[in-house]
Amino acid sequence: MSDLNLKHIGINYPAVWILTKREVIAFWRDKARIISSFAQAILFLLVFGYSLGQNTFPPGFNYKAYLASGIGALTILFTGIFGGMGLMRDKMFGFMKELIVAPVSRQTLMIGRTLGIAIQTVIQVLIILTLGIAFGFLGYNPDLFLRILIIIPIALAASMGIVGIGLIIGTKIRNFQSFGLIQTFIVMPMFWLSGTILPITNDSILYPIYQYNPFSYCVDLFRSVLIGINNFDIWLDILVMSAFAIGLILLGAISFNKMDVS
Amino acid sequence: MEENIIEVENLTKIYENGNVLAVDNIDLHIKQGEIFALLGPNGAGKTTTISMLATLLSNTAGQAIVNGYDIKKHPDKVRKSIGIVFQEPSLDGDMKGIENLEIHAILYGMPKKIRNAKIKEVLKLVDLEDKAEIFVRNYSGGMKRRLEIARGLLHEPKILFLDEPTLGLDPQTRRKIWEKIKELNKGESKITILITTHYMEEADELADRICIMDHGKIIALDTSKNLKKQLSGDVIDIEFDKIEDTSLLPSLISQLKEIPGIKHISLGDSKNNQEEIPLNLPKNIPNIDPNVIKARMQEMMQDPKKLLMAWKNFPMSQQMFQDAPLEMKKKIANMFNDDLIKDIPENIREVIINIKNGVFEDDNSREISKISISCEHGGKQLPLIMQNIDQKKIIIKNIYMHQPTLEDVFLHYVGTKIREETSDRTKDIKKRIQMRQLTR
Ligand SMILES: Nc1ncnc2c1ncn2[C@@H]1O[C@H](COP(=O)(O)OP(=O)(O)OP(=O)(O)O)[C@@H](O)[C@H]1O
Ligand SMILES: [Mg+2]
Repeated sequence: MSDLNLKHIGINYPAVWILTKREVIAFWRDKARIISSFAQAILFLLVFGYSLGQNTFPPGFNYKAYLASGIGALTILFTGIFGGMGLMRDKMFGFMKELIVAPVSRQTLMIGRTLGIAIQTVIQVLIILTLGIAFGFLGYNPDLFLRILIIIPIALAASMGIVGIGLIIGTKIRNFQSFGLIQTFIVMPMFWLSGTILPITNDSILYPIYQYNPFSYCVDLFRSVLIGINNFDIWLDILVMSAFAIGLILLGAISFNKMDVS
Repeated sequence: MEENIIEVENLTKIYENGNVLAVDNIDLHIKQGEIFALLGPNGAGKTTTISMLATLLSNTAGQAIVNGYDIKKHPDKVRKSIGIVFQEPSLDGDMKGIENLEIHAILYGMPKKIRNAKIKEVLKLVDLEDKAEIFVRNYSGGMKRRLEIARGLLHEPKILFLDEPTLGLDPQTRRKIWEKIKELNKGESKITILITTHYMEEADELADRICIMDHGKIIALDTSKNLKKQLSGDVIDIEFDKIEDTSLLPSLISQLKEIPGIKHISLGDSKNNQEEIPLNLPKNIPNIDPNVIKARMQEMMQDPKKLLMAWKNFPMSQQMFQDAPLEMKKKIANMFNDDLIKDIPENIREVIINIKNGVFEDDNSREISKISISCEHGGKQLPLIMQNIDQKKIIIKNIYMHQPTLEDVFLHYVGTKIREETSDRTKDIKKRIQMRQLTR
């Protein structure tokens, strides 16, 4: 129903703030979602952490730390994509019309939403890392605290890119039926083929896919900051992740600008 | 001299995707402080017109000035000058009532100081002060509508667009909302209101001027009084008993038209009685008080989930749906969103999806058992009319003669069109379906 966009009026910061707040409040109120996301993280930590014995891995490889950091990074993927797709809810229930007819630009609407989801992501990452520490998977080094602090901006940046994917999908699809498709064909492959839970070694036939999965670099950066294990050069990680985040957020913006609400 | 707050010239909208000419070169001049009603059947182009004026939709041609701003050049200024209540719900159900208003206030750049006071004020206006802290998903339909009106008024717009504000509400709630609308239009800060509706009483009750639209064009525009004056004389509504031979009616009508003094005959029900749910009860229900069933139906018409339950558990109710008049089917179809549609039993789902896509047969042609005749002097023409009907051996159930109402005016303009262009209209619909299939 809408094909007009107020491009020229720029970004309205109070509006960004209230939209961010809306996302965060909605997250906080959706207790079922919070609980299931943590239960899933705990399940992964326990199942993978205890099903593979230390002998499975080469000596000196700390799999439990590898796993805990991977699951931290995984939160970025899940929260980001499904958070971004959440805009479909607003489309379905009509609230998107209220947003679209307001005297603010679409960039404002998009930035508010993206920031809100990025903040949700960071909160969850922090809680899951705390769980990892509580389980004893991440060790008890005093410098871990500092490392977690550095993780925050990384999680924010990676989250932006992932939310971009969610927004692109959310503006295109029209109903919840497509959720399963997205889950199977986008989220799961990105998850399993990024070395979040199981390392993908360079003699594996999956390695090329791993290498071309941009999310692998987010996970790698995340892990190298947190526990010092890395597959790629850290600068390559930073480069790929930034390009990925910027590229997708721009694509997300374009798709949001073109969004037709009816 | 009174200022025009909305000036529309040659406004046109063609939907490229469906190749539909939704608004066809219309001119409107709406005065400051006026309540202006757009009245028209489904698909007339009312929502499209409002969407263009609200800068939600680009216009294909023509121009419009809203509160002194051109919709193309200053859409942001236009947006700040207007409040809008959409035809479909547009609230965030996961937020409280008051939070919906807060978000709106900030989006519209209201300074913090006046924000809270203004929110209180509009909540009070729509009697929702004590419901402000409740989640909107728990509001009733009427409360949601009132909250939307409050929200539309929050930033003190000069103009309020109301797109079918009372659609699907019960008569009391409807009346309450009318009172609120009238209240807004009183006093020195008279707000201009553009309201769309297909309820005649609504337009008659509220509007200073009424614009009848059909097929994207303006067909008539005047005060309710003047519109009725155009149909001077009397209106005779005749209700027939079931007519077995369907060819009788058209030939009767052409005969009646020959009678001197008869100006116009339209088919169908001029008493557009929306408040009562029409229902065809199956004949073989044992020992159930029809009133009980009616009450249950009333309840179900408020809640799609209850309807779904009924369809699942009582096959009889599926049959009742199939037999229901189109008007009611449409009402039911409107209650289901994409999410709920998949739960509907298959044979019904198809009907509902078709209705939602605008594909349905007008059951007018099948079930018409009423005609409405406007004539110069009812007393003079009535005997001749009776004579004609008698010759055809059609049995009359009811005759009712009265002064023209707004409904008659509407039928006069819209009803004739539908009848005279029947073949065109079906073609039209077919074309649209083809277009849809192509664009998919
Ligand atoms: N997004 C769209 N794409 C293509 N055609 C559309 C679109 N929206 C509306 N139309 C068509 O434009 C015409 C006018 O529709 P509009 O919604 O303005 O009617 P309306 O008078 O508001 O009807 P109603 O009383 O049912 O709300 C209809 O034929 C409709 O099918
Ligand atoms: Mg409409």
